[in-house]
Amino acid sequence: MKLVADRILGIVLMGLAAFAAHQAWNLQVLFSYEPVGPKAFPLVLSGILALLALVLIVRPGKGGKWPDAGLWLRILGVLGVLVVYALLFSRLGFMVTTFMTVVVLARLFGAAVPKALIAGVVMAAGSYVLFTSGLGIALPAGSWLPELL
Amino acid sequence: MFDFLIQGFDVALSPLNLGLAFLGAVLGTLFGALPGIGPINGIAILMPLAYTLGLPAESALILLAGVYTGAEYGGRMSSILLNVPGDAGAVMTALDGHPLAKKGLAGPALGLSAVSSFVGATIAIIGLTLFAPMLARIAVMFGPAEFFALMVFAFASMAVMMGKDPVKTGIAAVLGVLLAMVGVDSGTGVMRYTFGLVELYDGIDFVVMIIGLFAISEILLMLEHGVKTDTDEDMPAVGRVLVSLKEVMHCRWAMIRSGLIGFIVGVLPGTGASVAGAVSYTTEKRISDKDDTFGTGDMRGLAAPEAANNAAAAGSFVPMLTLGIPGSGTTAVLLGALMLYNITPGPMMFSERPEVAGGLIASLYVGNLILLALNLPLAGVFAKVLTIPRWVLVPGIAILAFVGVYQLHSDLMAIYLMLVIGVFGYGLRKLGFSLAPVILGYVLGGLMEDNLRRALSISGGDVGILWQSGISLGLWIAAVLLLVLPWLLPRLLSRRTPAHA
Repeated sequence: MKLVADRILGIVLMGLAAFAAHQAWNLQVLFSYEPVGPKAFPLVLSGILALLALVLIVRPGKGGKWPDAGLWLRILGVLGVLVVYALLFSRLGFMVTTFMTVVVLARLFGAAVPKALIAGVVMAAGSYVLFTSGLGIALPAGSWLPELL
Repeated sequence: MFDFLIQGFDVALSPLNLGLAFLGAVLGTLFGALPGIGPINGIAILMPLAYTLGLPAESALILLAGVYTGAEYGGRMSSILLNVPGDAGAVMTALDGHPLAKKGLAGPALGLSAVSSFVGATIAIIGLTLFAPMLARIAVMFGPAEFFALMVFAFASMAVMMGKDPVKTGIAAVLGVLLAMVGVDSGTGVMRYTFGLVELYDGIDFVVMIIGLFAISEILLMLEHGVKTDTDEDMPAVGRVLVSLKEVMHCRWAMIRSGLIGFIVGVLPGTGASVAGAVSYTTEKRISDKDDTFGTGDMRGLAAPEAANNAAAAGSFVPMLTLGIPGSGTTAVLLGALMLYNITPGPMMFSERPEVAGGLIASLYVGNLILLALNLPLAGVFAKVLTIPRWVLVPGIAILAFVGVYQLHSDLMAIYLMLVIGVFGYGLRKLGFSLAPVILGYVLGGLMEDNLRRALSISGGDVGILWQSGISLGLWIAAVLLLVLPWLLPRLLSRRTPAHA
């Protein structure tokens, strides 16, 4: 199983090497004051990568343990939360999105609902104060706030 | 000769820098103690904040170096108390540290490891003070060809020493170098691997890269340890952190030997604290394990890797400060931090920016004293952070990562890129890669290409310049030997003594 994973990885890396080489080969160099230019180094790298990938295919090593279905779901859950955090970050503002993110993340990592809610409030408010007044970082307040005020 | 050190102490003892060294020591010990957050993660999270605060270069470096050395102190705590290494450098510490804690000797074990950390770090900092200026004077003679050969050597030594699988280490390094190629080519203005995305024209921002690679992937990795905390078993009581002079003297040779080993391993480019810990432990076992007590709670088995990993941390500053080649994954990140300040570490730094080079070295002396003072009496307090549940830790890391990247350009694209890199890093770790070579490749890649192109410009395209000088030829030979010997030596030896084969 692990051996298969490394073989597939080797093939993917081969593809990546070919892609990187193709991209470098097609660079349009209008002028160059030096003999090497921007193509050579990426081309050599692609060659090394392809070579190492070949070694991996021929002699696969030990891979890591892969997560089971339940874990995959939770990983996707965490990634989803982080993507939503990014999507809403400037629209809803730092405090609201951070509160939501902390609550959901805390739940995903096994906190009970009341604890997660408390963590959300404390961390959202605390970090906002720390970053804005403590470190002078401008954080988005959210576009809905002015309408409410 | 040591003018730079006197000037350095002037810098390091200013109230601001003393305060930052203290802050770095405290935060570093905390980061090191928390399982999963090692020195690289700590620095990755703090670096953008240090940059925002508008700290001068030497002050930012003092803070971040404090985090680095502090993390090597802190990593021992969860090794000893929970049998879970706090960071890669503390893996060997658990072998004898945890059995000691189980015997009810957690306090003395923490005390002894703090003392050995101090001894190891002291040996290495003195070594750094002596050798760095010497090496810098040699390195001034390096031209682009020599630097290129040096980087080849660095990658070779990394492939052999770092991680269990040289092929995967090599692949990780190449991927890192390829990532460094993204963006506009400084020589010709050609866009490489930007796929028309304006955000990639300047290349992948260093902060985005390390926060994604280390912090985000760590969050995903932490899910695996599941809902349960790390403590499958109850944490042994720390008690009073007291170590007797007799115990320290019993381990003195282990500490000194391991400190020297750690320093040498740290100086070698590409190898850091984890290798040092392993090498010193096996060496010490061979030399002094007469009664076969190593692994069952032998004090010397605890002192050796702790002295070595702290020594390696200090030693890895030698190539970083003098050659601009990081000695470890963490110094690669520090090197990147310096580049944010438009300082390229290298041989000229001792003459051109003595306040940075000297200030850093002087602050290591100061920080080491602070760390000993913190870690002897307060080890019990620091051990409390081990009980912080993941549901507090993970959102905290997420917030710091988001704010750290967002404040760079108030740009959401950078955050998406950070998440993509995080998934990439997670995938690599699951496939059995370590991330340190990726970051080393990323930091060294651009420099390597620059030096290659500069060398070939000088020679008008003649590749021979790369191995013309004695220095570069020596480095090439050393690199080839490093790559070939581990494969060749066992074969030669087994041929000579077939009975043992």
